[in-house]
Amino acid sequence: MMMRKKLSIFLAAVMLLGLTACGSKTQEAKQEEGFQPALDTSIKGSINVAGGYSNFEALENEFDRFNEIYPNVELIYTKIDDYNNMIGTVLNGNDAPDIYVNNSWMYGREQYKASIDHAENLADPALGLDLDCIRDNILLNTEDGTLPMVPVFSSTYGMLVNKDLFEKEGLSIPSTYPELVAVCKDFREKGYPNPMMGYTADEKTSIYTVVSYPFFYSTIAGNDEAVDKMNALDPAAGEYMRPTITKMEQFLNDVGVDGSACASIEDNYEAVILRFFEGDVPMMACSGDAVSGTKKRESLSDQFTKNPFQYVFVPIPMADEGAYFLDIPNLQFSVNKDSKNLEVANEFMRFLVTSQELNEMAKNKGLMSPTKDLSFDSRYAAFGEIPESRILSPEEIGLTDDAVLQLRMAVYEYATGKLSIEDAIKGFGTYTQ
Amino acid sequence: MRKILIITVNIFIMAAILIAVVVYSRYESEASYRRQIENFENTTVTMERVTENYLEGEQRICDVWSRYISNSHMTMEEAIEFIRNSHVLGNTSAHLISIDTLEGLSTRPKQGTTDDYAVSYKRVGLLEDPSRISENGESINITRAYTNPMNGEQSLAFCDRVVLVDAKTHASVDAVLLRVIPISALEQKWVFPQTELENAELSLIDANGDYILKGSNFKNSSILEFYKSYNQTDTESSSKLYDSITSSTGSVSMINSHGQECILAFTPVSASDGWTLLGLVPAKDLHVERNNWLLFGAVSAGLLILFLCDLFYMLGLNKRLLITAMEAESASKAKTDFLSTMSHDIRTPMNAIIGLTTIAEKNLGDEESTKENLRKIGLASNHLLTLINDILDISKIESGKLKLNPLTFSLVETVENLVNISQPMIKEKNIEFGFHINRVEKEYLYADELRLNQIFINILSNAIKYTEPGGSVSVSLKEEQSDVPGCVRLTYTVADTGIGMSPEFMESMYQPFSRQTDSRVSSIQGTGLGLAITRQMVELMGGTITCRSEQGKGTTFTVALDISEADRQREEMRFEDMDVLIVDDDEIVLQTLSDDIRSLGASAEVTGNGEEAVKMINNRHKDGRDYSIVIVDWKMPDMDGIETIRRIRNEAGPAIPILMMSAYDWSDIEDKAKEAGANGFVSKPIFRSTLYNKVHEMIGEEIKSVEPEDDYSDLNGMHILIAEDIDINWEIISNMLGMFGITCDRAENGRVCVEKIRAAARDSYNLIFMDIQMPEMNGLDATVAIRKMEDSWAGNIPIVAMTADAFSENVTECMNAGMNGHIAKPIDMKLVVKEIRRIRHDAEKRQGA
Repeated sequence: MMMRKKLSIFLAAVMLLGLTACGSKTQEAKQEEGFQPALDTSIKGSINVAGGYSNFEALENEFDRFNEIYPNVELIYTKIDDYNNMIGTVLNGNDAPDIYVNNSWMYGREQYKASIDHAENLADPALGLDLDCIRDNILLNTEDGTLPMVPVFSSTYGMLVNKDLFEKEGLSIPSTYPELVAVCKDFREKGYPNPMMGYTADEKTSIYTVVSYPFFYSTIAGNDEAVDKMNALDPAAGEYMRPTITKMEQFLNDVGVDGSACASIEDNYEAVILRFFEGDVPMMACSGDAVSGTKKRESLSDQFTKNPFQYVFVPIPMADEGAYFLDIPNLQFSVNKDSKNLEVANEFMRFLVTSQELNEMAKNKGLMSPTKDLSFDSRYAAFGEIPESRILSPEEIGLTDDAVLQLRMAVYEYATGKLSIEDAIKGFGTYTQ
Repeated sequence: MRKILIITVNIFIMAAILIAVVVYSRYESEASYRRQIENFENTTVTMERVTENYLEGEQRICDVWSRYISNSHMTMEEAIEFIRNSHVLGNTSAHLISIDTLEGLSTRPKQGTTDDYAVSYKRVGLLEDPSRISENGESINITRAYTNPMNGEQSLAFCDRVVLVDAKTHASVDAVLLRVIPISALEQKWVFPQTELENAELSLIDANGDYILKGSNFKNSSILEFYKSYNQTDTESSSKLYDSITSSTGSVSMINSHGQECILAFTPVSASDGWTLLGLVPAKDLHVERNNWLLFGAVSAGLLILFLCDLFYMLGLNKRLLITAMEAESASKAKTDFLSTMSHDIRTPMNAIIGLTTIAEKNLGDEESTKENLRKIGLASNHLLTLINDILDISKIESGKLKLNPLTFSLVETVENLVNISQPMIKEKNIEFGFHINRVEKEYLYADELRLNQIFINILSNAIKYTEPGGSVSVSLKEEQSDVPGCVRLTYTVADTGIGMSPEFMESMYQPFSRQTDSRVSSIQGTGLGLAITRQMVELMGGTITCRSEQGKGTTFTVALDISEADRQREEMRFEDMDVLIVDDDEIVLQTLSDDIRSLGASAEVTGNGEEAVKMINNRHKDGRDYSIVIVDWKMPDMDGIETIRRIRNEAGPAIPILMMSAYDWSDIEDKAKEAGANGFVSKPIFRSTLYNKVHEMIGEEIKSVEPEDDYSDLNGMHILIAEDIDINWEIISNMLGMFGITCDRAENGRVCVEKIRAAARDSYNLIFMDIQMPEMNGLDATVAIRKMEDSWAGNIPIVAMTADAFSENVTECMNAGMNGHIAKPIDMKLVVKEIRRIRHDAEKRQGA
């Protein structure tokens, strides 16, 4: 009996030691598989990341994960007021950040020169960033081949789909325009007066823009002449908008958008989400930015809290062959090449620019990940299934903001009944915000 | 099994103590932790005071400026110039912003320029609702942290509304004065004083919980979001927490973004509009557990050491107990062996006594046979008495109770006694016996005479016992100078030609009950205790005993003792004009005796045989120069002492005093010696004082016939009171004394004895023999009572103890009680007579004095 007890204690101790050893081995193996620190992990330092968000919890989560490897590195996120206008001043001032949010549209604009000039070339192989994990569409090099910024989130346009309603009514999420038309008809017949809704108060992210924008890009993709003319605001370039406005006419006829119902949605973010969470709208057109706010607002919606449902974000199938995925970089990071903590800042970027960390941060933020793997987040998984041929990159196509504004306004003016198709097309080059 | 149980119990107790220590340590740690939290709360409150003072100070500056500007009807340019002139701090600036346009001027130029002071707050989102800015002096108006549009620094601004004058229209223009301070300036004030709070951070939140100033460890946009993001909570709980944080001072435990437990301390900023100062510190920084582990470690180590010590002590104790048990077992066996031996040794003489008594009773008519039987009974009795005395001695020695009782004694008497005791055995075995005294000058010594005598007798009696008839025993007593001050060294050597001892036996000869296994020895009576007692006593007296022996050749024992000289010594002895002739075949005797005589002032001539002596006496006699005295040894070759005396008397007449000396019993030759013409007798060994006394006695009293030793007429008519409770003892002593013509009265106990003395007529008793152990009143108490009597005769009557309490301490007790002597039972009548004579002699001396 005594012997058996001693043997049990001995075996328990051996098992415990074994488990401990296994644990450490597992941890080591995990580290071996993933990020490998390039610096002494006891290094001390601080990294200040500047951005326009009031708070950036998803990034702070990454700080914490980075601290698991480098516990003595302090990472701070600082919100810069009037970010786009101030970042240049900040970069030249006493509080210059080590890493900062940048925008590709700042390329070539004198006003934002400082933001580009301060950026380190992240394509430098010496930095060891895993750029291959990022979708090529949104990884934008400058003309001289440098890479001043890398996307950490991406965005697109699409629609939130109430999966439970589709299942309840025995319908499938549409993947082609005819399917979309049919589904809307079916929902209407089943007592859903507004199968698709969206924000309509202004043109920028109205349902009309969200629906037509990807389709428009599909019509000019690869047509450099069209792009050039549109960028030049050539009045004749208005014709390039005709297929899109005509499609909008068709859409309005086939699907139907209740303008008065949509007018109750006061903004393109929270109001959109809360209206969708009321549970009676099968499809809600919106931008990817709005999707990022859904998680937090689930608890803010009484209806959703009482009757929760499953939902996903899918591209709107405006073409007969299917939907187009407009792949837009949402937030991009640059490293201040004049940073006093450049070595540690680069190490953090090396840590962050991996499929695992970018996906983790995107998931926490609720935005679309810039990586090639979108399957990890069910909300955006549908976009990962879009074939390469229907993925469009506005950045690559190269339309200027003013050109895009002409489209948005034309579509919006038509869709809201203010202009006819012809007048809307004729108005190209004259629209202002 | 029991050992395992004890160890288990010990381990259990240790575990219990350790658990108690851990529990106590945890309690202490928790208490310390609570104190640290309280301390952190207090520190946060202190920091709030510091912050508040700072904010109030900065706000006050802003208030002063704004009041002056408003009262002075300044344009924006004038006001900004005024502030620019008032500025002293390099890191601060001031902005004047029109509420209408949200544009204005800065005291410092835009970054990268020297003259562009225009500043816009249109995109900053701070001043859209200027009504939130309270009236001048009411409270602190501070913005959230924002980006200074002029230099991009994260800053705070203290605000006041001012009224300016439009330079062109002179109309009033509502504007906001912002005193802009970099956040880093405030952060410098937010340094916790204690080192244990080096990881603590502060944040300032507004009434909505949104951060105004945010420490790096504070996450999210508000404290509530921060709490909810990393802590399990529900809406109600978080609402309560939020109310608590924004309305009171206190602390709460929460998990931070690293998954660590933190303490969030909060306190309202009094001078603000619902702001709260937050402090956040990792909980581990407030735990001070290291000392507890140290305590735990110290207690563990202490207990382990204690346990091991106890364990080893227990093992040692067990070992000792085992040894003790074995010793006890051995002692028990020894006791059994002892009893067995005693049974045998006691029964042997008892058997003789009983058997011989029976034989004597049956042969009462046969006087010779009866005498012989009684003689043998006496021998057996003496042996039995010796055995009992030895047993008592050895038991006292082994129990460590044997104490020496030193008294002044006469070495001469001791040696005489030794010789007297030995004489019968020597005579019986016809052993050649010699006793040499060598330079003994100190006659009186201070030691335990009884024990010294015992040492001498034991060794000598052994030598005599183990020397076969015809053999020789030679004794030597030598006095030398001692290394011990005040002492003389007595070396007592007894050499015999006896059977000797084997080397194996010599190794254990001092062990009690050791007797040599030898067919010759078995016929010799002995207890096997004598040598053991002797050695113990020698060592007790600080002496040494050595032995040389060879089987079949003999044994020599040598005892050396350092004995104190007595204060009293013999007065100076001196012979006047004496010629002494010494006749002895023993050269040593001739040498020592002639030296003694010469040292006494006489001249001495010596001769080794009787023939020569007769010639020398005749020659002297013819010359008319007779020797003053002639000392003749008895046993000499060719012509013995008796024949020599006879020849002297025949040829030189009866005038010359002749003293016969011998180491043998005088009584054997008494008749023949007297018949031959001897005038006196002296026993060997002859001490100087003995010689002096004897010669002086013969010279002084002319030629005096030797008084026969069995003349007890001096005792006749004495009357003795005997205090004795045992009838048979009374009968024995009274009868025995009666044989000497002494009459006795009996007192049955001490009380009766006292009464009889009190009632007795003066001089009616010569002395009292007092038993000690008696009913009603013992002998000691009775003696004390008698000594206290007023009557001088009664109070001084000689009292001699006659008791079976025979140990030296018993003797001491008797003397201390006031007795004059001690006789041990069973009584030896020779000693009794000797004691009576001594007492009587002392009494006569006192009367004479």
